[in-house]
Amino acid sequence: MTTVAGHAGLSRKHFVVQPSLLQQMWTSRADYLYVLPAIVVMLVVIAYPIYYTIDLSFFKTPPGLQLRDKIFVGVDNYTSILSSEVFWRVTLNTVIWTVASTLIAFVLGFGSALALHRDFAGRAVLRAILIIPWVISAVAASYIWKWMYHSDFGLIGAVLVQLGIVDTQPNFIDNIYSVLPSLIVVNIWREFPFAMIMMMAGLQTVPEQLLRAARVDGASAWQRFWHITLPHMAGVSTVTILLLAVANFNSFIIPWIMTGGGPSNASHIWITHIYELAFGRQRWGVAAAYSVLLFIILMSLGYFYVRALSANEKKEQGA
Amino acid sequence: MAEVVLQHVMKYYGNLAAVNDVNFTVNDGEFVALVGPSGCGKTTTLNLIAGLLPMSGGDISIGDRIVNDLDPKDRDIAMVFQNYALYPNKSVYKNLAFPLQMRKLPNDEIDRKVQAAAKVLDITYLLERKPRELSGGQQQRVALGRALVRDPAVFLMDEPLSNLDAKLRVQMRSEIKRFHQDLNATIVYVTHDQLEAVTMADKMAVMNGGLLQQYDTPARVFANPINMFVAGFIGSPAMSLVPLQASTVDGRVSLSSVEGWSLPLSDANARKVASAKSAKVVLGARHSTIRLHKEAATGFVPAKVYTVEPTGDITFVQAFLSGAIVNISLPPTVSVAPDEMVWLEFDQERIHLFDGETEMALRAD
Repeated sequence: MTTVAGHAGLSRKHFVVQPSLLQQMWTSRADYLYVLPAIVVMLVVIAYPIYYTIDLSFFKTPPGLQLRDKIFVGVDNYTSILSSEVFWRVTLNTVIWTVASTLIAFVLGFGSALALHRDFAGRAVLRAILIIPWVISAVAASYIWKWMYHSDFGLIGAVLVQLGIVDTQPNFIDNIYSVLPSLIVVNIWREFPFAMIMMMAGLQTVPEQLLRAARVDGASAWQRFWHITLPHMAGVSTVTILLLAVANFNSFIIPWIMTGGGPSNASHIWITHIYELAFGRQRWGVAAAYSVLLFIILMSLGYFYVRALSANEKKEQGA
Repeated sequence: MAEVVLQHVMKYYGNLAAVNDVNFTVNDGEFVALVGPSGCGKTTTLNLIAGLLPMSGGDISIGDRIVNDLDPKDRDIAMVFQNYALYPNKSVYKNLAFPLQMRKLPNDEIDRKVQAAAKVLDITYLLERKPRELSGGQQQRVALGRALVRDPAVFLMDEPLSNLDAKLRVQMRSEIKRFHQDLNATIVYVTHDQLEAVTMADKMAVMNGGLLQQYDTPARVFANPINMFVAGFIGSPAMSLVPLQASTVDGRVSLSSVEGWSLPLSDANARKVASAKSAKVVLGARHSTIRLHKEAATGFVPAKVYTVEPTGDITFVQAFLSGAIVNISLPPTVSVAPDEMVWLEFDQERIHLFDGETEMALRAD
């Protein structure tokens, strides 16, 4: 009898199978219930709009018709976007805007973080001042900069004239060549404190013993930065640059308020252009197609962001 | 290799003297352990020797140079840190090569030195790996290697074993000792573990509260602790210290307890007590010099067993004697129970007497 029981126990152990997915879901049904409200909200405010935008991007929406009378045009919206001159102009603007703003803001932020990392009198005050551009209202800041750039009464132009650098007030934002760089300056001013805060946090995690070891090993301040600090900051730098890039790709307030994309599309970037197409000219279908393209680009940036994050985690676990 | 001399070395943090007038000389080829509890100033002292902290006063010389104002890189020292401080993004080879590259040595010489150091420490097979792919013991060897390639005048080691598990620590302890013997290196070694200091060092500098308490060979520090702090810090279990009163009972100098008993002293010990500033005398005895008896006899003192800790070949007993805890070691064949009354016999040749006021050891002079 005992042998039989022993046998049965053994064979049962051999035939243990993983419970099926449905069984597993049923066992943890309470967990699903807990996340259900969040999932419902996300479906309503994220998934449905995405679906609706994709759907809309295959229709023409003449301003004279109601939205429900939209006309199916297949991929016409996409082909007309890709073949239009404005699209390439705006895309080039967006690339210049994103790359220049991201890189310069990052370098400036990293530099300020390094400067503020050392202890000196007035550091806390200086840090607080440097964070101001990031915390004040972007709308208010845009209006102030717009006035500072004004071609007749602008402060910046006046100072340049007073200093004798130029003879007459330069035209910063009513000029198709200088408008984009002028806006990029404002954008960098606004977001470099974010990079600074991220990099300051990163600098605090550089192990003091490594820096000491390098000092004993004979490394100069620059060599310590190059061999110890910089490699240690690789992870936080990647994340900061990606976050800045996504934010810049999605910028709206500064270009919209300061120029509205003008003159002659010289400062239009994707988001302002989509907004104008949709809400200025009621070209919902084309705007939706633009949004779908933007969505694809941002999702790929997001993919790299998540990958960079998990690579960091792996590195930390390994160390 | 060279000697290291510290003269009146001071380090203040605000008003706090973290290192207070420390003097000692590390002879060429000597292994000196700086030992003491947390915050005693031992690591600060090491960092002052390294030049990683500015001194508040005094002189440090390495070899025949005063190095007070020299950068760490110009002091001809190498340092091994508590968590090894290996450069995480560099391979083992590049870690070893780094101090040589910083000194702009030609590449073939760097390669020759790195290979030689790797061979000495038996880490040649690890050269291509990154530090995170190494075990604690391997990282430790690489850290030693990075110090070794430089062929420095002095090796400074800051608790290099404290991140290792107990078993590996014992193994690496003998490896570092071997490293010292083979290279005849001058080593200053910081540790909070008195056992490490006693087992490895030629001399130990016992520090407390920024002050150097005693500087001597481990054997002499163990046998003749200069004060109650050193007596209690060196040795495990710690030396038992029992505060008593010196008195004369029946014409003999004795130590009396508030519990009513008194312990007559030998002539030699009586002479030591005579030099005390007051009648307050502290009796010190190591666990192995106290004998435990179940019956009373002349010269025995009564104690009450507090805990019994069998460890296999030795049983440690803690007992209350005149309000103090006394450690006694027994063969495992003797059985005692908590709260049992026992009688202790002190070996008059091997007890230590301290002045209860100054906490200094009493000497017969």
